[in-house]
Amino acid sequence: MKLARDTALLCRRSTLENLRNPVWLFVGFSTPLLYLALFTPLLKNIPYVGGTDVLDHFLPAILALLAWGSGTAMGFGTIFELQAGVVERFRVTPTSRLALLLGPLVSGLGWMFLFDLLLIGVGAAFGFHVHVAGLLVLGVLLGLFMLSMAGFSVAMALLTKEISSFAAVINGLNLPVLLLAGVLLPISIGPDWMKVLAHFNPLYYLVTAARSLGVGTFSGGATWQAFAVLVPLAAITLTWATRVYRRAVA
Amino acid sequence: MTDVIDAHDLRKQFASRGGPIEAVRGVSFAVSEGEIFGFLGPNGAGKTTTLRMLTTLLPIDSGSATVAGLDVAREPENVRKRIGYVSQLGGADDLATGRENLQLQGRLYGRENDYVAARVDELLTLLDLSSFADRRVKTYSGGQRRRLDVGLGIVHGPEVLFLDEPTTGLDPQNRANLWEHLRRLRERGTTILLTTHYLEEADALCDRVMIIDHGEIVAEGSPRELKREVVGDSVVLRVAEEGDGHERARALLTTAPFVSSVTQADDDQLRCYVEDGASALPELLRLLDSQRVGLRSISLSEPTLDDVFLAKTGRSLRDGGPAAREEVTA
Ligand SMILES: Nc1ncnc2c1ncn2[C@@H]1O[C@H](COP(=O)(O)OP(=O)(O)OP(=O)(O)O)[C@@H](O)[C@H]1O
Ligand SMILES: [Mg+2]
Repeated sequence: MKLARDTALLCRRSTLENLRNPVWLFVGFSTPLLYLALFTPLLKNIPYVGGTDVLDHFLPAILALLAWGSGTAMGFGTIFELQAGVVERFRVTPTSRLALLLGPLVSGLGWMFLFDLLLIGVGAAFGFHVHVAGLLVLGVLLGLFMLSMAGFSVAMALLTKEISSFAAVINGLNLPVLLLAGVLLPISIGPDWMKVLAHFNPLYYLVTAARSLGVGTFSGGATWQAFAVLVPLAAITLTWATRVYRRAVA
Repeated sequence: MTDVIDAHDLRKQFASRGGPIEAVRGVSFAVSEGEIFGFLGPNGAGKTTTLRMLTTLLPIDSGSATVAGLDVAREPENVRKRIGYVSQLGGADDLATGRENLQLQGRLYGRENDYVAARVDELLTLLDLSSFADRRVKTYSGGQRRRLDVGLGIVHGPEVLFLDEPTTGLDPQNRANLWEHLRRLRERGTTILLTTHYLEEADALCDRVMIIDHGEIVAEGSPRELKREVVGDSVVLRVAEEGDGHERARALLTTAPFVSSVTQADDDQLRCYVEDGASALPELLRLLDSQRVGLRSISLSEPTLDDVFLAKTGRSLRDGGPAAREEVTA
């Protein structure tokens, strides 16, 4: 009860803060949109992956990319609030510690789903075939992954406490994680060592599942593998983040 | 009167690259109900660290503390319900209005909408915030913002209010204004513990003061008691002539029987401690005159809390760093 109430209060606050300073929202949304606009035409001309249904393959992967981006960006807000004294102001109230973490995360999750819908809408206008059931299951996976990355990002922010080390961690992870996930081009066209490495990357499982769910395919194991990886990942990162929140905040 | 805050041998160490930093080294004190109690000390003395331990924000390494009768380490959640804390940074949401900030804060203390709305109106009046309550906080002046911060700390009507440097950066007029508000809060029964490095603030506002330096208590008592402990008055003088006049004066005064000690005050000033200023002043003038040491200025002052600090640590609070220096010009 108290957890739900406190989370709702803090989620509302984060959402309002975002609306009042929408630059971040704009950046967050325009990145996947630009990928769609500027990368799809290139893929169309690569016979191996392309063809007529290029958006059906590419758009689900872009949704996965957006989940990664929205999740890992959460820590920037945490750093700002740490340095502005907001975190201490909240910590000294009897607010549930988990709610302090979940409030902004739930808000971020809401924004992500809104952007997902917008991207699907734009995609549909350009020929993306909408498979509702597949997209609903994909939505669950996207949410799990976004929350995991958000938990990780917030915990890293609390531990590093300042923007430059935090940004170094996030930016350092960004490129290898994206390249080894097959967001832009499928890993299946790469060499074996790459396929092996990709299996250590949670985003790879999400992208693979997204590609198959996007065309409405539930069989083939990609979806179950993704759940098998992302459920424990969410449990671990969120537990860790709460623990860090309880202890290490200075 | 009962003790609202009771701290016993509090200690805190921080790990750092250059070895552990002992930020707080065995601090004990008690604050009674309805008191304004001040921590006075230079930068890095351990004021914020002590406050953060008492407000459940930082684990206590060793020692113990009770606040409002509750053990801070054992019952942090119950302590949080009964205290307010305003950090050095404040931490209001810039993009929200003052009223919205207060409302959210009130609701985070578990109060219902109606109660919070009424309480917020009451606070806006109490702290003179009404005329700009519906403006975004980023448009507030320093004094307005600080009053809002105090409002955020007392929205739930706490028994004890902790304030970390509530008036740093405020001009003298705003500072005096905030003091008035804090006194009013005290009259309503709130116990206040604040930190400051303004001597005037400790002197004018606090019922009792604890002087802290390098994590240890240097002195504790009412400003008047503390100043009485430093027996006597001080005479500050500035030598007129160039050359060795300053040094000669210093040597003369150091050996004079009626002067208990001499220290360098500012660059070209000497401060002599004497038992009784009124009788020592003529003797002092006569002595300097007989040795032909001319003076540019001389003044007699009653002891200040800085003299207490100086007497106990051999250093002046005023040359404790940038923040301490700021005060001289303020
Ligand atoms: N989180 C931390 N990690 C490492 N060292 C710390 C930490 N917090 C404080 N310190 C160190 O502990 C000492 C006491 O710091 P504290 O902030 O309590 O001083 P203060 O009296 O509040 O000073 P100021 O007047 O500048 O606010 C300082 O040497 C500071 O560098
Ligand atoms: Mg401090």
